[in-house]
Amino acid sequence: MSTPMKFLIVDDFSTMRRIVRNLLKEIGHADADEAEDGAIALSKLRNGAFNFVVSDINMPNMNGFELLAQIKQDEKLKHLPVLMVTAEARKEDIVMAAQNGAAGYIVKPFTKATLEEKLANIFKKLGI
Amino acid sequence: MNEQQEEAASGNPDMFRQLGTITRQLHDALKELGYTDKLKGTVDQLPDAQSRLSYIARLTGEAAEKVLNHVDEGKAEQAKIAERGRQLADTISRVPGLARAMPELLEWSKDIVSLSEKSDARLTDIMMAQDFHDLTGQVIGRVVQLAGTIEEQLLSLLLQSAPGGQPGQDHAIVDQPALAGPVVNAEGRTDVVSDQAQVDDLLASLGF
Repeated sequence: MSTPMKFLIVDDFSTMRRIVRNLLKEIGHADADEAEDGAIALSKLRNGAFNFVVSDINMPNMNGFELLAQIKQDEKLKHLPVLMVTAEARKEDIVMAAQNGAAGYIVKPFTKATLEEKLANIFKKLGI
Repeated sequence: MNEQQEEAASGNPDMFRQLGTITRQLHDALKELGYTDKLKGTVDQLPDAQSRLSYIARLTGEAAEKVLNHVDEGKAEQAKIAERGRQLADTISRVPGLARAMPELLEWSKDIVSLSEKSDARLTDIMMAQDFHDLTGQVIGRVVQLAGTIEEQLLSLLLQSAPGGQPGQDHAIVDQPALAGPVVNAEGRTDVVSDQAQVDDLLASLGF
């Protein structure tokens, strides 16, 4: 990868944010920030230069679907790939995420290999 | 009242009246059978059950954080051990005749690197296992929410048993969140996936 990417990890559970952050670091993406819900994430995205969003769905204030919609409606943010990492395992949620522009969907619990594979797929698809 | 409830009410004008009658009969039956006190006892216990569940969620969260702190420290130490092992192997190779005279030194230093890398992978597995806090936390959150709803409904039932209470004053029905959280038992269900392979298959079948 030529330029380092900055990730935003969005999850209301600090344990999960930390796990994802450590995994990203192990995979080679050390530059990451965290947000505990969609509203905080949106504010950070609008005020910072991020390249990738890894987001949970079930969160207070603004959930992952609402965040995804806000990102895709925002001219400055809509190019951002959003990978959903969530415990929501209903098929309709997975389909909704894909139809609303999510770049990928990982269901918890997941492994390092899964995260690595999904990121590689997204990078390849987007030519990053 | 949500849209669905409003629609149901407008479609069935007698529905709430009938519900009120049934509720009143239930209240009367509860009073006659002497269950009101028992019901009150149950209502009183629900906040305790909620706080106990919240306590479990908090404690397991703290335990998970503690494990993650140790994992972070362990990983940093393993990285140093692996680096030292590499330096040792390099040093042994650069001392003329040493690797030939004592080949086991080179072997041991390579073992250090290999074992520390395996330990690092184990630490990653330990870290990943802490995701239980997120998953169980979500389930506990749902149960606490459910207990809150039940408490509210039981309280309303008790209030209606008291003089002056009127059927139809029950405001305990609350909107359920659309998101369901982790699937506790996926057996026999066709509306949920049970692993990542099924997620991938579903998305692939839709052309994503």
